[in-house]
Amino acid sequence: MWSRIISRLLTSLVVAWASVTAAFLALHALPGRIQDILAGDLEYPGLREAIAAEWGLDRSLPAQYLDFLLRILQGDFGTSYVLRQPVTEVVGSQLMPTVQLALLGGILAVIIAIALALLTAGRGRISRQIASFLELVFASTPVFWLGILLLMAFSFTLRWFPVSGASGWQSIVLPSLTLALPTAGLLAQVLREAMEKTLDQPFVTTVRSRGVGELVIRARHVLRHALLPAVTLGGWLIGGLLGGAVITEKVFGRPGLGTVTLGAVLTHDVPVVLAVVLLAAFIHVAASTLLDILYLLIDPRLRAQ
Amino acid sequence: MKWQLYAIDHFRKCETLLLRLVVKNTNGRSPMRKISISPRTAIVIASVMLGGQLAQAQEGKPVSGGAITWGVATEPSCFDPHRASQQAAFFVARNYIDSLVGKKTDGSFAPWLATEWSISPDGKEYTYKLREDVVFHDGEKFDAAAVKANYDFVKKPENATNAVALLQYFDRAEVVSPYVVKLILTQPDSTFLESTSNVKLGIISPKALAKGDLCGGGPLLAGSGPFVFERYSRGQSAVFVRNKDYKWGPGYAAHTGPAYLDRVTLRFLPEAAVRAGALTSGQVDLIEGVQPTDVALFADQAEFKLLTGPSGASTSFTFNINYTIPPADDVRVRRALRDGFDLEPLVKQVYLGTVPRAWSIIGPANPAYNKALVGAWGNNIAGANKLLDEAGWTGRDSEGFRTKNGVRLKIDVGYPQPYVRDNREVLIQGIQAALRKNIGFDLNLRIITAGEYAKNNANGNWTIYPNTDNPSDPARELWDMLGSKGFLYSNIANPDPQITGLIDEALRSTDVAKKRALTDEIQKLGVDQAFIVPMFAPSWFLAAKNNVNGLSFEAGLDSPSSAYDFWLAK
Repeated sequence: MWSRIISRLLTSLVVAWASVTAAFLALHALPGRIQDILAGDLEYPGLREAIAAEWGLDRSLPAQYLDFLLRILQGDFGTSYVLRQPVTEVVGSQLMPTVQLALLGGILAVIIAIALALLTAGRGRISRQIASFLELVFASTPVFWLGILLLMAFSFTLRWFPVSGASGWQSIVLPSLTLALPTAGLLAQVLREAMEKTLDQPFVTTVRSRGVGELVIRARHVLRHALLPAVTLGGWLIGGLLGGAVITEKVFGRPGLGTVTLGAVLTHDVPVVLAVVLLAAFIHVAASTLLDILYLLIDPRLRAQ
Repeated sequence: MKWQLYAIDHFRKCETLLLRLVVKNTNGRSPMRKISISPRTAIVIASVMLGGQLAQAQEGKPVSGGAITWGVATEPSCFDPHRASQQAAFFVARNYIDSLVGKKTDGSFAPWLATEWSISPDGKEYTYKLREDVVFHDGEKFDAAAVKANYDFVKKPENATNAVALLQYFDRAEVVSPYVVKLILTQPDSTFLESTSNVKLGIISPKALAKGDLCGGGPLLAGSGPFVFERYSRGQSAVFVRNKDYKWGPGYAAHTGPAYLDRVTLRFLPEAAVRAGALTSGQVDLIEGVQPTDVALFADQAEFKLLTGPSGASTSFTFNINYTIPPADDVRVRRALRDGFDLEPLVKQVYLGTVPRAWSIIGPANPAYNKALVGAWGNNIAGANKLLDEAGWTGRDSEGFRTKNGVRLKIDVGYPQPYVRDNREVLIQGIQAALRKNIGFDLNLRIITAGEYAKNNANGNWTIYPNTDNPSDPARELWDMLGSKGFLYSNIANPDPQITGLIDEALRSTDVAKKRALTDEIQKLGVDQAFIVPMFAPSWFLAAKNNVNGLSFEAGLDSPSSAYDFWLAK
């Protein structure tokens, strides 16, 4: 048990180190020196030297890299070149809104997907086709477009929800729905397919013969089997939610990591990008650990091993 | 990620149509009016462009009180005016930052923190007499020492501020008496008075300056402006509250004393359609950055007003052609590019008649605009073809492009992605298609990263750079784009001596008439040699609810003015 946890921790350290190193190398391999980019359309003698000295860009790349690693170990992520504020402050202030949005979007997606699958798997042809069509539409609609449509209907016309603002629950309804629908569409398709396969299995007939009601069969027995392939999609789901959050934040004018990250990549704001990469690596490791535990909860056969 | 960004671009075109449908339904008006701009709107827009200012309807007597929410397109990455580099950051800063002098629409200057000023006969000493009743937001007193502290801070190379570009010839500041400051230059600089009116050289409390980085805004960033910077929530909003003690407004403002509004909240809404929708549904009171396609939502509407800003402070949107790199080192090739297409219908098609095509590098509302260039160039396809024939580009390849010695006639337009905005890339694509069809010229638009641009610029091998220059004195703008040490030609070994010489002369010339003649000549030469091809004169669009009054534009920036004169009708 402990050895597994320790090896897991070591793996996550390696993942974090590798991803930060890769990001560091990638950012420095991009064309253009950082001091030239930071100078922008500004030009006077000594400007580039001053910028390079300010951010320590005048040192060799290995020296910058080592310095960076040492500083991270001390919990110091440096200062953003462009925003000129401590990275921990920038990322810290933007983390919660994104997590909130992604979490709510994820939960909503799972609820919608399970409800759709439970209601339509193995039922009448027409209801299945309608549900399947809707799922396809949601899964293939870009998040951006969906957000605008929802805004037009529920904010600009009906005026039920505000465009944005971090105040009150009303402001998160539309963004989380925007994020949830495409994910829910795909998840529901996978779930229904798996449930329909399971419904054909002999054990379902056995359970039915005991006189168990249809809803219980579906919710307690069939869903459990069908969840396994859906959980496998979990890694993809987390990536999708975080990526979708970038677009959603932009459309709704919400605070969050998305806008900050996009801006940082475009302007070669190395300290911010590296902090976000580190965070993403951490989320990835944490999520895959959680998913492993989830497998155990869903499938008793795995626990015995 | 990448396809999603493309999708954004694609859907942006459809969203306005949808928005219009929504508004049509809520207003219950006929759809015909939404499809094109009505003649009256067109006249309003045209007259605004000609006059550079909107003749406002009778708005009644201003009253104090109330708060507004302002939907803003770009969230400044830095709120400190000394360090900011985005156009969008400057008009935001005007709410909490004052300058020594203010620039009026006619190009002359009004008192502000300085009540009077004088320039020494040799043009190297600027003496400002300062107001004695000004207090910064943090309680510090404003005086000559504060001015010196600001100019010293900006000039210091280690600080690497953006504003230092305006202090090219600034040597030092001297405190003559507690309220008289002298700014001393190393050589005469005809653009210097204008620079001291620029928000980039606005005055911040010396105590705040000493505290270190002020980019994050908030109360730390203490200026002396009509509003105090109360709070900044990244990705969301910035809140300004009225400075009750304010009695030192700029001489060009419509009133004196404190601002009318209690509170101004800027909401950052990057999507144009969302901004427009937020205003039509009453969630914000005022928006800037109205897309041409959304203009019809607000012009001519009983419950909204639309204002178009002047195009005088910033330059036109231009192609800057690097005339040292083949094939553009041949003036015939550059002129063929300039004349090989009809610009007018392209601009009209992309911007629906809301902005005029440009004739010169300088904006049409600027007093230094060279009117002689109107009608002097462009749309001469036969002539362009003849020029290219003469220059030896007589072959044709399989795609129909001209060739010389087997090499295609091709020039890249490297457009840095962070600067791509308001459908400018669509306009360039239109020019690209026209040049291909008309004269077999391969103008190749490439959206590049900021890094690639920086690299090309550092090596001096950029080819065509699409640009609108930040507002400053016209001679300074021409220097930026064409001068030997401007940002484009600084890394090019042998820029054209004639035009760079004229620019240096204009910078030194303190005689108004002489300077005017020089800037006229530079504009003419720049366009005649096709170093620069002007495309259109961008202007700023504001839309507001009808009860928001006192809206105007700041002449020194072309941008919306600060909220100092804004007031809400009860």
